[in-house]
Amino acid sequence: MGTPASTYELTRRAAVGAMAAAAAGYAILGPRGTQEIPRGRVVLDYWEKWTRHEGDAMERVVSDFNKSQDRIFVRYLVVSDIGQKSLVSIAGSRPPDIIGLYAFNVPPYAEMGAIIPMDELAPRAGVRMENYAPGVREVMRYKGGWWAMVNTAGSIALYYNRSAFRDAGLDPDRPPRTIAELDAAHARLLRTDSRGALERVGFLHREPGWWSWLWAYHFGGRIFDEASGRALLDSPENIRAMEWMQGYARDLGLDRIKIFAESFGNYFTPENPFLTGKVGMIVQGPWIANLINAFKPDLDYGVAPFPTVHGEAGSSPVGLIDTDVLVIPRGAKHPEAAMEFIAFTQRQDMTERLATAHCKPSPLTSVSAEFLAGHPNRGIGVHYDILRSDRAFVPPRTRVWQQFKDEFDSVVQRMWRLEVPAAEALPRLQVRVQSLIDQAADQQFRRHGGADPAPGGAA
Amino acid sequence: MSVPGQATHSRRSTEQRAARRQVLIGLTWVSPWLFGAGLFVFAPMAMSLYYSFTDYPLLEPPLWSGLDNYKRMFSDPTFLRVVWNTTAYAAVSIPLFTIVALILAGVLAKTGRMSSFYRACVFIPTLVPLIASAMVWMWLFNGEYGLINKLLAMISIRGPAWIVDRNWVLPSMVIMSVWGVGQGVVIYVAAMQDVPKQLYEAARIDGMGTVRQFIHVTLPMISPAILFNVIALTIAAVQVFAVPSVMFRRPDGQNPAGHYYTMYLYENAFVYGNMGYASAMAWMQLLVVLLLTALLLFAGRRLVHYARV
Amino acid sequence: MSNASPKPGARSRLKGVYFHIAMLLVSLVFLAPLVWMLSTSVKPEDQAASGEIHLLPTPPSSVFAQAADNYSAVWNDRTIRFPLYLRNTLIVAILGVVGMTLSSAVVAYGLSRVQWRGRGVVFFLVLATMMIPFPVLMVPLYIIFRELGWTGTLKPLWVPAWFGNAFNIFLLRQFFMTIPPQLDEAARLDGCSHWSIFWRIILPLAKPALAVVALFHFIYVWNDFVGPLIFLTDRDQFTLALGLQLYQSQSGNTPWNLLMAASALMISPLVVLFMLTQRTFVQSASTEGLK
Repeated sequence: MGTPASTYELTRRAAVGAMAAAAAGYAILGPRGTQEIPRGRVVLDYWEKWTRHEGDAMERVVSDFNKSQDRIFVRYLVVSDIGQKSLVSIAGSRPPDIIGLYAFNVPPYAEMGAIIPMDELAPRAGVRMENYAPGVREVMRYKGGWWAMVNTAGSIALYYNRSAFRDAGLDPDRPPRTIAELDAAHARLLRTDSRGALERVGFLHREPGWWSWLWAYHFGGRIFDEASGRALLDSPENIRAMEWMQGYARDLGLDRIKIFAESFGNYFTPENPFLTGKVGMIVQGPWIANLINAFKPDLDYGVAPFPTVHGEAGSSPVGLIDTDVLVIPRGAKHPEAAMEFIAFTQRQDMTERLATAHCKPSPLTSVSAEFLAGHPNRGIGVHYDILRSDRAFVPPRTRVWQQFKDEFDSVVQRMWRLEVPAAEALPRLQVRVQSLIDQAADQQFRRHGGADPAPGGAA
Repeated sequence: MSVPGQATHSRRSTEQRAARRQVLIGLTWVSPWLFGAGLFVFAPMAMSLYYSFTDYPLLEPPLWSGLDNYKRMFSDPTFLRVVWNTTAYAAVSIPLFTIVALILAGVLAKTGRMSSFYRACVFIPTLVPLIASAMVWMWLFNGEYGLINKLLAMISIRGPAWIVDRNWVLPSMVIMSVWGVGQGVVIYVAAMQDVPKQLYEAARIDGMGTVRQFIHVTLPMISPAILFNVIALTIAAVQVFAVPSVMFRRPDGQNPAGHYYTMYLYENAFVYGNMGYASAMAWMQLLVVLLLTALLLFAGRRLVHYARV
Repeated sequence: MSNASPKPGARSRLKGVYFHIAMLLVSLVFLAPLVWMLSTSVKPEDQAASGEIHLLPTPPSSVFAQAADNYSAVWNDRTIRFPLYLRNTLIVAILGVVGMTLSSAVVAYGLSRVQWRGRGVVFFLVLATMMIPFPVLMVPLYIIFRELGWTGTLKPLWVPAWFGNAFNIFLLRQFFMTIPPQLDEAARLDGCSHWSIFWRIILPLAKPALAVVALFHFIYVWNDFVGPLIFLTDRDQFTLALGLQLYQSQSGNTPWNLLMAASALMISPLVVLFMLTQRTFVQSASTEGLK
């Protein structure tokens, strides 16, 4: 303070001052987020999880809708962690008008009264349940009510690298049908370098590990019984499935797997291990074809239903249906207008355009010939088979699914690292998860006396 | 008797009036904080205490449930795991952080041309926002392409898959926290520069070497600063959130070894919608922080006192 | 210490050399992560993810072109809009810094320059709130802001700063206590009110301490992750901390070189600020030691 300010001191102060001024200027004049909104229209906010090419396709549908009429204007907003952010915004009484969620969000949201039923809104806007493929209808309905509209349908299948099959002396036209055949193909595809480090594996349960719970279904079991509200985590099928997974960890060697897996690029990059050929077979949804077409169009891939323990595939394969849905949250200001927009997205031309962009099957029963002919995913037929199969399944429909899955994932990680045998971990997990389910049911009962979320009752 | 009495009385009342006026003035000056803390600290504390005794889903009003939430904690294995992870992190990182900070501060306390440069180098990492440092360390810790494992490979050691391997999660967290040791170094350097020079003169006459001077003179003299810093570190360690929630989150779920108390609290509140349970966890956390602070102050007072005798 | 050595000067000089070598190594260890971040941020993706250690891309002459590519890819990303997040962060930071500095100074004045009964109690309360973990306030704050209609806006992130903060109040109070009381007594005799004493005498004298508080709050805003995570929903309102996390987690599709470029962008204003205000900075950090 006492010393006279040197020139250095002065320039330093000038620099800080300039930075502050620049910051203030940028804060006032910097870029703004909101789009231009035409006057005199009802504005609907539509939250969606998709970005990049998937988002672009949906944005085109939105802009077509905005052009098709002059009363409603839909704003497309990308939201991350959408299931959680939406819940918080609904609780905060500031929800958007339309939300693009995942199918597994529908039961918890319906139970909590976070979304409004569509039983009356949808038919008034000209949308009928019969328009949809049977497997898809199950996603839209919950406990007798109609809660969501499916905007793209996906089913999960086995993707395999045909060139790797040829390279390993396997028949690329005969993908594995049973778990035993999958194991055999894996053994053939396995390749290590001179130091013993992994170079290629046939199959890796944790890659990408998005559906860590689904193996039980391919072992003839399931993990949740909706009617009785019981988790079935300690069922013999699930224990066998998890022991099967642990067998891979044991045979490949944990340390080797860890090092190998860290060389994988992120999912949406050309370094995706299926694209680079490091993993010969993966369990995936149809959208992976987009990745292949974008980054490695010459990859020779095949698609088949994921094998089961008994292998009686035929025309009704076992497979997970995993779809994206549109819902109208509680507290939305313009439900009728929101439904008008949703109905627009459900037109056959729109669903097919969106499905093409996402490389997915269309959720509707009637499908145009051009759609199938020009489809960018060569395995689309397999995805349709699963969608129509009476042995297809959806994620467990329980209010506590998020926590159920988190607890399950954490135990799967421990089992995968061979910290605990499946036969020991799963009964403990069963008790834990069942207590979560029962607790939620108990709380629901204390509040509402056990009444189901009635269609129209929550509005 | 009545006249002086009245005088005293009136003087006292003038004094009282003046005192009351002063109180009013004082309150006016502190009113921003009183109002702000009332609205943003004390009211929320009372609310969360109340919520902790209720079942409170995100979308419905709270419903009284007594001690249920508190009882539930002790049979919740995930709760017990996050408590364990958090305790282990605090128990390892705080002593290590303090020791490294003290050594570096002892070395850097001398004023010299270079030591301000060294101090700046040690301090710069503390400027890095938590999220950014999580990103940088995720990259450094990458099992295949990370710098750390590449360097280890040069001396023929195959490094672990740091943030994936449950045994290496804690070391990763501790290494990161020690990287931010500059915060402690600066505090201790400032405290050391306040230690009277005569004390060192006396110690030198007693024949003490540099190390013994550090142990017998410096440490006792700066012990209040150490105590304060350890308390601050403890409060922060108990709340660790941003870094692990970015670093140990993988496509196949959170790495259970990298799951900490505040993360689970946040998930309960805003992901699972169990706001009552989350509030009970928060109050438990508050009680633990108060208890630890009291313990540290108690232990610290004795240590500090003992050293000064 | 032995005094038998014939050339004590040479020996201590040698010791000094060892010391500096050791300290340079330590400094290098502390800076290495940031150096590596910068190095990765100017490489193409395939070179970033390779087995060798190079500081510069090959060929080294491509460094500027590659840096321009990477940084502009981050800056111009269509979905993760860093320019927008920078603006939001600056809004929160500027409004917050102004409010925080002013209000903390006002409260600190009341706790140091005004004599009144109950001052000790209030000061104790201020100190006590420093120990409260944020998670205790998290859920109710969310509910309060929701009732106020503030969720989904930037308000929850800067309005509370206008009511002071315990630590900053404490810091300024300690500083105000060191200002001689004769100054305001003289001013009072001249008929000055508390407000004009505060405004004309105390604040100008306290500039260094005010700078510390301003700096503290600025860094706090830049760092804050939990607040924006809970109170912001709309992506257009994200701050840099949330944006960076989003950039990384977005379906896991961000290459490392771009992620490091984004991190470097976020860190750089703080480092520049540090270079310019090093003394204040170090002072601000050391005040945490309750000197």
